[in-house]
Amino acid sequence: MAERRGEDVVSEFLKQNPHLAQWVESLRGQCETNKQWRGRKEFILRNLESFPTVLPDVSSPSLDRLLSLSMVWANHVFLGCIYPQSVMNKVNEMAEGIVVDEIQVRKTRDEIMGKGKRTATSDKEMDNSIKKLKAGNTEVESKAGGRAAVRSGGSGTFKCGPPPQAPTEHQPFFNRLYKAVAWKLVSAGGFGPNLDHFEILRACIESSKASLSCVFVPLKDIPDLPAGRAQKEGQVCELRCQTVYMGTGYGRDEDSARAMASKEALKIFQSRKVTVKICRRRFRGKDVEDLVLVDDQLRNSGFPPALAYPFQADQQPSPS
Amino acid sequence: MGVPAFFRWLSRKYASIIVHCVEEKSKECNGVRIPVDTSKPNPNEVEFDNLYLDMNGIIHPCTHPEDKPAPKNEDEMMVAIFEYIDRLFNIVRPRRVLYMAIDGVAPRAKMNQQRSRRFRASKEGVELQEEKKKVREEIYQRGGYLPPDEIKERFDSNCITPGTEFMDNLAKCLRYYIAERLSNDPGWRNLTVVLSDASVPGEGEHKIMDFIRRQRAQPNHDPNTHHCLCGADADLIMLGLATHEPNFTIIREEFKPNKPRPCALCGQMGHEIKDCQGLAREKQGEHDQFADSVPVSEQEFIFIRLSVLREYLERELTMASLPFPFNFERSVDDWVFMCFFVGNDFLPHLPSLEIREGAIDRLVAIYKDVVHKTGGYLTENGFVHLERVEMIMQAVGVAEDNIFKKRKEDDEAFKRRMKEKKKRLKAEQRPAFLPTGQFAPQALGGRAIPQPIQNARHTAFDMRMQGMDQRSRLCAGPSDGPGTRGEKRKAEDSDSEPEPEDNVRLWEDGWKQRYYKTKFDVDASDETFRRKVVKSYVEGLCWVLRYYYQGCASWKWYFPFHYAPFASDFKDIKGMFMEFETGTKPFKPLEQLMGVFPAASGNFLPTTWRALMTNPDSSIIDFYPEDFAIDLNGKKYAWQGVALLPFVDERRLRAALEEVYPDLTPEERKRNSLGSDMLFVGKSHPLCDFVRELYLTKPSEGTEMPPELCHGIQGALNLDEEPILPDNPVVSPVPLLRDIAQNRAIGIKFKDPQYEEGFVFKAVILPGAKIPSKVLKPSDWEKSNRGPWKPQLGFNPNRQQVHLDQSAFRALSHNMNRDRPRDGLYSNAPPPGNYHGGPYRPSHGGPSHGPINAHVPHFPSKFLSSHLKELNTQVLTAQEGCAQTGTWIPIGLFLCILFFCVLS
Repeated sequence: MAERRGEDVVSEFLKQNPHLAQWVESLRGQCETNKQWRGRKEFILRNLESFPTVLPDVSSPSLDRLLSLSMVWANHVFLGCIYPQSVMNKVNEMAEGIVVDEIQVRKTRDEIMGKGKRTATSDKEMDNSIKKLKAGNTEVESKAGGRAAVRSGGSGTFKCGPPPQAPTEHQPFFNRLYKAVAWKLVSAGGFGPNLDHFEILRACIESSKASLSCVFVPLKDIPDLPAGRAQKEGQVCELRCQTVYMGTGYGRDEDSARAMASKEALKIFQSRKVTVKICRRRFRGKDVEDLVLVDDQLRNSGFPPALAYPFQADQQPSPS
Repeated sequence: MGVPAFFRWLSRKYASIIVHCVEEKSKECNGVRIPVDTSKPNPNEVEFDNLYLDMNGIIHPCTHPEDKPAPKNEDEMMVAIFEYIDRLFNIVRPRRVLYMAIDGVAPRAKMNQQRSRRFRASKEGVELQEEKKKVREEIYQRGGYLPPDEIKERFDSNCITPGTEFMDNLAKCLRYYIAERLSNDPGWRNLTVVLSDASVPGEGEHKIMDFIRRQRAQPNHDPNTHHCLCGADADLIMLGLATHEPNFTIIREEFKPNKPRPCALCGQMGHEIKDCQGLAREKQGEHDQFADSVPVSEQEFIFIRLSVLREYLERELTMASLPFPFNFERSVDDWVFMCFFVGNDFLPHLPSLEIREGAIDRLVAIYKDVVHKTGGYLTENGFVHLERVEMIMQAVGVAEDNIFKKRKEDDEAFKRRMKEKKKRLKAEQRPAFLPTGQFAPQALGGRAIPQPIQNARHTAFDMRMQGMDQRSRLCAGPSDGPGTRGEKRKAEDSDSEPEPEDNVRLWEDGWKQRYYKTKFDVDASDETFRRKVVKSYVEGLCWVLRYYYQGCASWKWYFPFHYAPFASDFKDIKGMFMEFETGTKPFKPLEQLMGVFPAASGNFLPTTWRALMTNPDSSIIDFYPEDFAIDLNGKKYAWQGVALLPFVDERRLRAALEEVYPDLTPEERKRNSLGSDMLFVGKSHPLCDFVRELYLTKPSEGTEMPPELCHGIQGALNLDEEPILPDNPVVSPVPLLRDIAQNRAIGIKFKDPQYEEGFVFKAVILPGAKIPSKVLKPSDWEKSNRGPWKPQLGFNPNRQQVHLDQSAFRALSHNMNRDRPRDGLYSNAPPPGNYHGGPYRPSHGGPSHGPINAHVPHFPSKFLSSHLKELNTQVLTAQEGCAQTGTWIPIGLFLCILFFCVLS
């Protein structure tokens, strides 16, 4: 467990340096929660050696600097504050190895006011740091032990799963797409089996100024298929638009798989309206939260397992 | 108090507390403005002794007004401030004291709010600037016209914080202003003026309270002083009640919602920046004579009569059959205390108490219910009985669950209503059904020549079938092509704004756990932490009440969380608070600036200080985030949400500043020092000679002010280093205004009376105070058969009804219809013939005739006669105008003749 590990490091360190224990507790702020203090204590102790002038029980400017940086880190992680880039870089470096679980997603003022300039930098940040470790994915975490646990600056996403506001953000686009598809089908003479489904979907999406991404995986490479399946050959195709999952299809070759997936996707557009939702589905043997496009009919079958997962830092969907 | 809703609620519930101000306007004669003589009796039919100005409420609207174009530079701002004070002075006309208080450094408890305001203001300013720039460019590209952007720098309203050069300059300007008025204005002749500028620590209104408190605790105080306090903050009402002075009135600008604002780009009314088209300015009036006048009426002032509010409260709070004697004054204190639960500047309000949901009424009901069991009042002289407060809190806590559920229901119902309303409005916009085909409506003047109708029945059939078709298609869903209706609905869906997510869901079970988890990030099991929050809040309640009744108990204390606990969490709070740390000191002005400014406002600070806000190696860099999270907390807009800013570590701040203190210039050092209140009087004031004598004898320490010289006001006087002395000219700091060559004012440092430590200011009505007569209609009036109730409209219970005398009638008939003097007074339609000569003909005999009295609204007579005079002057000027055109006629004739001569 993440939290255990961090605590272990701290308690181990304090066991070796018992003279620090009392002193470091005196640095705790009066309104800090246990969780916040645990993280900050680790931050201070881990960086103690790079501040050689800091002596326990003596307040000095260098101690204040260390405290200040620890507060920058804590304010960023727990309160959602953003500091100038140079400060952020420095703190991220210092925070390497600290693991904090369940960080709250907060929206900064700039985000609320609709300034998108943050996303670019936070994406970059995402690559070299881990946002959030849920107790559970221990494999990833142990590999990432050397990385800093820093919340993403702006986008509010964390490692697994789409940001909670994503459905509302994507909904207007799919409302437009719905309209485009409806008109296109009208001019093509209505929905039916003899259409070039992929072409229709692609044209509609492009007329809505977005692009369709297809991911192909050979059927045999997919885990968790029902055991009774006879067929082992062929391709599976998954369609996404703006990271929102639209459909999966199977075929002998890539083209037919794609056509089948498009047909599935167009079926969704046959209902009264389409909705973007966050749903659970399987991905590589694990349950993940994914953004999917659904119609207003309730289905009980669930979704086929995901072939790609765009909400993971180190896995981007490969657009075709 | 950060509760704008409070005043609205109060003024709706207790409507009679409000009296509109009568303002005598200055007149203009031949282009020269004649100032109003404020030494004349007050037109509001009441005389005030002391006027207190909470200057920040004046500085803000004068420096960055919302409803008119901003002043161009600092000088214009100063002049605007002077004019505003003049206006207030003219309305209130204080006879003894004018006290001006500018906010000095505030207690630490206020710092969090100040920080959040300034961080937001700085960001908002930048955003506005960016938007302006963007729109400006767009307009230029489209070929629009905009007045050139003044080169002036953006006025950063953050400079209205103690310690900045602007505030220093303002203090200088106000000294000049006071000296000028004391020398030249007859209304100021016998006035004592106290100026407490930003260098004196304390918030403006609390400095005023301290003055009142300390004056009324000394034996020479006149218990019947009539106080008038100017300011818009709702907490002034609390403060006024807390003084227990019987005559206390608050004056503030009347709040008018949705006032039109000029566009910040082109300065024209009627649109916002984002809709600015860059069109040429429209002429205002036929000859653009109204160019500079704002189309809306000037902001008017209202009085809030606390004596009437006390009457209301007395009715509401009086309780019979108590186990202890009922004391109205004590129950007022409890009422004030309970209002703090609903919101104040120092603590976040309890989640279950919303003023809009009638929280105060609920609290009063609970209070009256619980007070039987508590065995006494909640508070005494500003000290809190915690075990009694706990009983109130627990009673609120019991209802909490239902309050949250009800809130959700109301919210949903409101949303539903709004949605339906929107739908209705949309439906009204266009007809539900349009005939098609040959019946389709056609534009007039179009090319199409109207065709004769052919086969009308068939077309009607077609249309009917089409309608059915459409309906069936709607039912089947839009699979076979979107019908027009289907599209509409989708557009609506995407229109609706996304709701801010609410993870706390206070209306669902488990709300408490979720609240602590989301807001504080602690688990439900963390009882220690929860107690810590409650303890801080309890301390906060004690601190706030003490602040209002005794003055600042601790400059250091603050509430170190962003959210309040629940009422039901207040368990076993009795031992939670003992006493505040004594001997705490306020920040120095520049230290406070470092504590409340974002790095973007660093330009108000010395260079090396500023560097501490941006340098990654600074030991206080964590105080200055660039951007910060805002928790909407159930609200809709960012400015309503909670800004999650980190708190300032006082020790680290002081330590960091110690190193840069040597970098201050002498001038900055002076700005950073704590100053003193100043007292000014004019030459004719009895105190003037006393002060003059002091400057001659130069006593080394403070001299007690003789109370008999100044209406019983006491305090210590200390010599000023650069005094304003009579007959010494005063140089004007504002180039627009003249120096005072003939100065008649004198100024000296003033210090409020001091009391030994541990002195408790009593929250009681002073002996000898006369309670003003009742204004509200007694509840048993009907029973007493005293005839119809005559409500009191202003301050004067015996206000004169209007009578028109002969000259007034002459003036009226002069201005009305001169041709038909016998007709009805107000109507142009001729009355029936048999009315002529009837008994109702207005005779000039006297005012006793019924109809005249009935028609004339009940103005005070003085007021009306001044209006009539005005009418008269207007007529006179019109006649002058005629005379001028008359001179043109001969010239015209002459030219005509000349013309004819040339022709012939």
